[in-house]
Amino acid sequence: MSTSARSEIFARLRDINHQASAERIELDRQALGSAPVPKPPASEICEAFLVNVLKNKGSADCVSNRAEAVAAIGHYIYSHFRSHRLVAGNDPRLAAMPWRDAGVLPRFGRLEVGEPVALSFAQLGVVETGAVMTWTGKSNPAANNLLPEHHIVLVDTTDLVPDMEHAWGRIKQEIDQNGPPRGINFIAGPSSTADIEGQLVYGAHGPRKWHVILMGKVPAEALSRARTIAGV
Amino acid sequence: MEQHSETFLDNASAALKNSAQAERRDVIAAFAPLIRSAAIEGFDEFDNLRKHIKRVRQHSLDHLEYYLGQFEYQAVQNGNHVHFARNSDELNSTVLDICQQHDAKRIAKGKSMVTEETGLNAFLQSAGLEVMETDLGEYIIQQAGETPSHIVAPALHKSADEIRELFQSKHDLGPRELPETVDLVSEARDILREHFLQAEVGIIGANALIAENGYSMLVTNEGNGDLCANLPRVLIVCTTIDRVLPLAQDATAMLRLLVRSATGQAQTCYTSFYSGPRRESDLDGPIETHFVLLDNKRSDILASDYREMLECIRCGACLNHCPIYSSVGGHAYGWVYPGPMGSILTPLLTSLEQSSALPNACTSCGRCAEVCPADIPLPDMLRDLRHEENSQKLSAGRWRLGLKVHAWLARHPKLYHALTGLAISTLHLFGHKRGSFVRLPMAGGWTSQRDFPAPQGKTFMQQHQARLKRIARQQNEH
Ligand code: SF4
Repeated sequence: MSTSARSEIFARLRDINHQASAERIELDRQALGSAPVPKPPASEICEAFLVNVLKNKGSADCVSNRAEAVAAIGHYIYSHFRSHRLVAGNDPRLAAMPWRDAGVLPRFGRLEVGEPVALSFAQLGVVETGAVMTWTGKSNPAANNLLPEHHIVLVDTTDLVPDMEHAWGRIKQEIDQNGPPRGINFIAGPSSTADIEGQLVYGAHGPRKWHVILMGKVPAEALSRARTIAGV
Repeated sequence: MEQHSETFLDNASAALKNSAQAERRDVIAAFAPLIRSAAIEGFDEFDNLRKHIKRVRQHSLDHLEYYLGQFEYQAVQNGNHVHFARNSDELNSTVLDICQQHDAKRIAKGKSMVTEETGLNAFLQSAGLEVMETDLGEYIIQQAGETPSHIVAPALHKSADEIRELFQSKHDLGPRELPETVDLVSEARDILREHFLQAEVGIIGANALIAENGYSMLVTNEGNGDLCANLPRVLIVCTTIDRVLPLAQDATAMLRLLVRSATGQAQTCYTSFYSGPRRESDLDGPIETHFVLLDNKRSDILASDYREMLECIRCGACLNHCPIYSSVGGHAYGWVYPGPMGSILTPLLTSLEQSSALPNACTSCGRCAEVCPADIPLPDMLRDLRHEENSQKLSAGRWRLGLKVHAWLARHPKLYHALTGLAISTLHLFGHKRGSFVRLPMAGGWTSQRDFPAPQGKTFMQQHQARLKRIARQQNEH
């Protein structure tokens, strides 16, 4: 690298910028406060999350426990692929699920080219955007988010956060405890493009379908109410 | 990238004659504002958010040295190599050096207007590298040997038929005809997937750099940028120094504005943050990561009266709402950035001499400033640039003469009113029966697109004076 480029750019900025101490600058930023957040589309948190998932052109399912989750996953892959196989990251939460009960045959690791379905256990679901978040690591190789035809994501209701500000709160805990993850991926829908005549097409590069399974205490009518609000 | 802004007027005339493209532009111009307003509707706090982000952006620029230094420190802590480049040449050669150190032959590239600005692709290709754009729109125009016509949707000027013909001539399709749009997308997906899996280096841009933690933010719908960032063994992030924001939450708050303004979504499919190379526990990801941070006159802009232009978040809303952009399209502007934002950035990043027509490509309608999520006073800046042109004698002599005459007349109101009164009654005399003019001397360009309404008798001032007199008379009678 050209050190002269660096020093020249910094010297220039020093000339232009207001001079202030680091403390002063940090205090000034704090004084600006935080940004307004859009109102959720429903007052109940699961319902609001589901509305946004559906608006993002995801499909959704709700289950109350791990046994139901495994059954729902088994049903999904069988109905789309007539298969019982999927790939999942080395997430201890996934390894502990009762796969055999639903006849599902998971392979734990990174998705290989040609494998059509991957399952991720999201670190978070963000109500504001209907996005799920995973960070890269043993539990979540990036390929599993990006290369399958269908991406199934399991979200625990206790991992729902209202907005991106709260999402960062959780990420900061992770950074403090385990260091910064290499990649933090918020996913809100199947891969899409409108680059040809503005026409929306799914499966531009990544998954053509994105299926979210919300697991935990979900109010009975949440999904059907969410469908009505999202108009699907 | 090579610049053709000097010939803006000729480029624009040629664009207006291409009726198929003009029709497509009309459709987009009708459609894009609708999806933006639908996305903002119901977000009552949009304006407050706009104000908040404006304050944060101003604060970051006021202390850019501090935040850039903080970002650099954090990014190095995270395991990155951070490079600085004063100009396009320095960015291009830094990137080439990295590629050559890794013996790379194949490059997968995500969408980046900054590297369009520096002409990185041509530079790497001339050194024998195979560079493939992976954003579908960018891929299409790269195959066609064209440049982007829009900063968000670079290939919107092309019809599906044209893209089909392009793929037929460039790809080995065999008997496949790719009848539907979805077939075209699948075709590009297959070709690009192959390239992703083989590329040794990925190059992406960044929508923001976060000072507090050293992450860069990448926003896409296709996921191509993420494939570039995760599959090749080396990742290079190219962006400009002004993209730094203090806090992670600032970057995602800015997204609330950006995505709604750009594509009418509440959130893009992929919003990703990358901190550096593969960690011990990672099963994939690049083993080496670089940032190349470009100045290219941003510090000049920061020191100038145009510094607010650095707050632009590249959403494209001003393009979508501009009557000039909608009429002539992005290529007429002759460089990387078109529309209102481009008419300001191009003179600032190249020179006012080379792009003196651009600040005049404005009807002062004010729609761009109304919709700009960064609240940039675009029409005011365009006017200031026109001022500069005038004082530097860069505009055409007859324009300057016309302005001088007009300014002189404006300082002599009696004469001004007499002359405008004469002009209006003459036009009224010849045109009042038909109600409009199909043709007017010295205004052929104007009337070629629309009729000129015939004045209905008197000037505003004449009518106003008459009204005042009438009121005074009535008061006297009482
Ligand atoms: S100038 Fe404003 S409206 Fe135009 S691209 Fe930049 S942020 Fe968007």
